[in-house]
Amino acid sequence: MARRVAVVAGGHSKFGKRLDATVRELCAEAYKPIYDEGITQDRIDATVLSYAASQFTGQGAGSALIADYLGLQNKPHLRVESACATGTASLRAAYGMIASGLYDVMLVLGVEQMNRVSSATATEYMARAGDMRWEYPFGISFPAFYALMASRYISEYNLPHEVLSMISVKSHHYGAQNPKAHLPKEVSLEEAHNAVPICRPLNLYDCSLITDGAAAVVLVAEERVKEFTDRPMWIKGIGAGASQMMIQDRPSLTSIPGAKQAAKAAYEMAGLKPNDINMAEVHDCFSIAELIAYEDLGFAEPGKGREIVENKENYHDGRIPVNCDGGLKSKGHPLGATGISMTYEILKQMRGEADKPSRQIKDVQYGLVHNVGQSGQFVNIFIYERGF
Amino acid sequence: MAEQKELYLGYATDKAVTPFFDKFLRELENEKIMKSKCTSCGTEYLPPRQHCQKCLSECELEEFTEREAKLYSYVIVDFGPESLASKTPYVVAIGEFPSGLRLTAHITNLMAPPEVGMPLKLAFEKIDEKRVTYKWLV
Repeated sequence: MARRVAVVAGGHSKFGKRLDATVRELCAEAYKPIYDEGITQDRIDATVLSYAASQFTGQGAGSALIADYLGLQNKPHLRVESACATGTASLRAAYGMIASGLYDVMLVLGVEQMNRVSSATATEYMARAGDMRWEYPFGISFPAFYALMASRYISEYNLPHEVLSMISVKSHHYGAQNPKAHLPKEVSLEEAHNAVPICRPLNLYDCSLITDGAAAVVLVAEERVKEFTDRPMWIKGIGAGASQMMIQDRPSLTSIPGAKQAAKAAYEMAGLKPNDINMAEVHDCFSIAELIAYEDLGFAEPGKGREIVENKENYHDGRIPVNCDGGLKSKGHPLGATGISMTYEILKQMRGEADKPSRQIKDVQYGLVHNVGQSGQFVNIFIYERGF
Repeated sequence: MAEQKELYLGYATDKAVTPFFDKFLRELENEKIMKSKCTSCGTEYLPPRQHCQKCLSECELEEFTEREAKLYSYVIVDFGPESLASKTPYVVAIGEFPSGLRLTAHITNLMAPPEVGMPLKLAFEKIDEKRVTYKWLV
């Protein structure tokens, strides 16, 4: 029987256009609060670095650089890459190493530095996560993949664009209350709906941000948890899934096959159902992605995700609060940091430590993280349980 | 800075062309689209694969003759990757043929916004003396 594993601490840098820092300084910013809680380097057995896109920095051997910078130069480390799902892929790797007994205490760090190149260059780099032979030559950028899903969804379910804009309005409402957020400001439905087009049918407010930032959590084996905290958050269920590389090969564009697969596995492992989940952090790299996530996670039937939006069930006091930290849209999306940041947010919410009462979700027993790489080729879903 | 070069099928063809893929590109010059068929289990692929996804056997190129398709989904790219920034806005479409095979390419002659389900026709375009690509027409 595998050992249980808990998240015992977390740290989070300010997200934003961070020209005052590069990957190493951002990682230090994320690890420092953990260090200050007493989890010093000597207590950590090994690290996993979630660092999705080294082309932005040109730095190879990233996990060596970061480990050294943080004073972990003599601790084993490795780097994981799974596009935008790198954060949870790293957590999955660390979970496996701890559950198997290889290590007891691991620091999982996620980071990305994306703003030292132009938006066009950043879009270029991310487009190369499409099939370089058959998709990239047609200029299918990262938003374009999700726009292909949006066009199909809009057509199949007769979805008005305003529903997507309502998701962005909610993201910004909560991002405005999150001191770590990249773009902490409220937007109106009108602004969101009429914004400049990026990849029609998606406009500027349907798209997440190009962000610099880092986040970190510490995972510990069951028998050692008490040494670290009396408020652990247990990993209750993990599910991973995958989808076809080329988007044209997907059987449907109104759902992400890998997300449904991952959700089923995570719920099964946790012994829980969608109705049991008290809050979710979902991968809203684009507004349409959040809508599809509601359905893939079983919070709504296919085609009915809009009801959650229109009834505001996704707000902090609603039936299924989603992304009450601002999400990728307003908090920001530093690729490698995102999955870790989502996990950090659930830890904070469970501990009642959301920054403001106006975004504190009440009594979170079970929280879910849904982290999607590229356009769904990689999906990891974690279900966490409050352990106090 | 990203590399500035004209995009073409098999980006960075100087680095990524194989004899199999090169044959696909040469046939495009003759305005032929090639699919591939597994020599062992017969599964067909468009665009072609050299190795069968099911049994990893070698595939052979075969001419793909369907031309009429329906628009499965589309995107109008207003803000593109650096390498295609000068071409925006452009429309990328997934077309589905009656056989169920699909292909992704630009629609180049739209006068009105595209609609899912609209008919598309597969056509060819000469980029320069040596290179031909495929595209959708409405």
